[in-house]
Amino acid sequence: MGEMIENVNFTTSSAISDFLKKTPAQDIINWGRKNSLWFLTQPMGCCGVEMISTGCSHYDTDRFGIIPRDSPRQADVIVISGYVTKKYLPALKLVWDQMPAPKWIICMGDCSISGGPFYESYSTVQNIDEIFPVDVFIPGCPPRPEALIQGFIELQKKIMAKKDIGTDY
Amino acid sequence: MIDADYILSSLTKTFPNDFSESKIESDTKLTSYVEKDAIFNVCKHMLDNLECNHLSCECGVDYPDRNELEVVYHIASYEHPVVITLKVKLPRDDPEIESIVSVYWNANWYERETYELYGIMYKNHPDLKPLLLIDEMLGDWPLRKDYDGYPNKTSKNLV
Amino acid sequence: MDTNIGPSEMLLHLGPQHAIQPGPYLLDLRLKGESVVDAELKMGYIHKGIEKILENKTYLQGITITDRICYLAAMSNNEVFCGCVERLVGIEPPERSQYIRVIMEELSRIQSHLLGLGEFSTDLGFITMFLYMIREREEVLNLIDTVTGSRITQTYLRFGGVREDFPEGYEQKTMLVLNDLKKKLDQHENLYDTDRIYRQRTVGVGTLTKEVATELGVAGPPLRATGVKFDVRKDDPYLVYDDLDFKVCTQKNGDIFARIKVRLDEIRESIYMIEQSFDQMPQGPLFPEGTPYGRRTPVMRVPPGEVFYRVEDPRGEMGMYMISDGSDTPYRVKIRGPVFPTMQALPPLILNTYIADVAAIAASMDGCTSEADR
Repeated sequence: MGEMIENVNFTTSSAISDFLKKTPAQDIINWGRKNSLWFLTQPMGCCGVEMISTGCSHYDTDRFGIIPRDSPRQADVIVISGYVTKKYLPALKLVWDQMPAPKWIICMGDCSISGGPFYESYSTVQNIDEIFPVDVFIPGCPPRPEALIQGFIELQKKIMAKKDIGTDY
Repeated sequence: MIDADYILSSLTKTFPNDFSESKIESDTKLTSYVEKDAIFNVCKHMLDNLECNHLSCECGVDYPDRNELEVVYHIASYEHPVVITLKVKLPRDDPEIESIVSVYWNANWYERETYELYGIMYKNHPDLKPLLLIDEMLGDWPLRKDYDGYPNKTSKNLV
Repeated sequence: MDTNIGPSEMLLHLGPQHAIQPGPYLLDLRLKGESVVDAELKMGYIHKGIEKILENKTYLQGITITDRICYLAAMSNNEVFCGCVERLVGIEPPERSQYIRVIMEELSRIQSHLLGLGEFSTDLGFITMFLYMIREREEVLNLIDTVTGSRITQTYLRFGGVREDFPEGYEQKTMLVLNDLKKKLDQHENLYDTDRIYRQRTVGVGTLTKEVATELGVAGPPLRATGVKFDVRKDDPYLVYDDLDFKVCTQKNGDIFARIKVRLDEIRESIYMIEQSFDQMPQGPLFPEGTPYGRRTPVMRVPPGEVFYRVEDPRGEMGMYMISDGSDTPYRVKIRGPVFPTMQALPPLILNTYIADVAAIAASMDGCTSEADR
């Protein structure tokens, strides 16, 4: 912020954003956000392959404005698509921190929800929802692409209802 | 024609004192125990004279009852279908064995993996450090039978 | 790797999350200008401890875990696990089951190669081909789904047989899809061959020679692209591969172009094998008669012993070493995946290449990180 001048009101973009959150304009912003949920292609396990299939020709999530992106800087949604290990967790946090807000997390598959078949392993991290603010859980091992699409639609509904954890209301 | 018989006779002729409990299961399967000091020369002999140019696998096995660790080598070939299983017994308290990386290049990662999972030290390995686990877990030797970190019951959704 | 960098050098980390990767791994590169002078691959980002888990699960539960070693070759992983147990127990699946296994494993190989080709193309910037390949793959996955009820982790094989028989009219449906696939493959190969940019990026890039490939222990299509005729289906036959007529697809040059050619040829060869299997497949039971083995064998104890069994995965030689101590869980399971040595050979292969080619070379090896880490 620059120097204060008398009789002139300064503002910041976060102040504007905070103000807008209280007005109906946020509905329009959310409508725009929910229709451009770009997700990060970050395959980690079996579910990662299904995630790739979902973004491609046959299932074509483009219909809902959901486009796979390769860079965390360009993505709104990160799909945790597999077993998070102790070694990978710091990298995953870094990827999450690199994403610009507003951002959302979808937990895809049993492994990321509760450890799945590897819940007893010495190398994996359980209870991801205590580490990341997860909006949608998609059970299955692996979930079918249809389930992933439904997960995205649930996220869209949450955003529209202003109940998502990803945005700070 | 190279088959299991031929390989075993060639090995026992070259290393008369180092092989024990040799067993020929079929024309293409051969199992034997090798003395731990001889393994490097045995591998070299097999690569040079017996066309066994493919290290298929190398792994460790833990036998806490006998207070022993075993290193198991599966050596195959691109030329003939024989798979030779060589086993080396090591004491559980101080497992140390000669590395075979200079004979079979791809043993490098197998040995690093066996080192971090079983704690078997490889002498003359070019770069012996953990491959799969985080550094903090080095020394736990998770695949040994007496490892106490398994099962890991931290998941809160357990029934 | 030495991290002290000299003049006009720089360190570059590719990964653990990067667009070129089929799964997380970290490729540390030291660059001098545009070329790679040193490389190191770091693994273990999705190490799940499958070998430890298998030691603590019963044999039947183990099948489910083996699916997840490599989700693109779940059928081959099932085969290697069930094959080990069958050899320890001393049973053999009936002929019909063996043919069903061959058909399903070859279908699985086709879908794996299609995804491998697709991912490779997208790393070259050839997105059109990626979408084509995924389109064909979905058709093949539908075929697998029809029988097993699952797209990628099927848990389809059982000890001594398979879980389900083919549904009515499956042969016609399969041949319809595969004949269509054959035509499309010709079109795609034509696209690959005639594209000038594609040829410039692949011909003579990332070349492996026969001697180096065998020394590094590379497996599968990258090995066969150098001219080594090594295929476990031929060299150490299992199931009914002895009765089928097929050739081992090889190329001479050992570069990226040759690897892709090998994969395309192998898809054709797999289709040919499936055709033959449908013709030769007899009627009969799915499980050996007079044994307790069936779709459900809840309590089973395996006699003590040990076995090393190899099959041909889509990515190369897959082996499993199993020790049984007579209880209902295995004493030790060692999985020898083909990707482990192939990934290990990646750093020497990308030395002295340009940084722009690293993505193409890494993708052409068709690595599956999950299997290398286990």
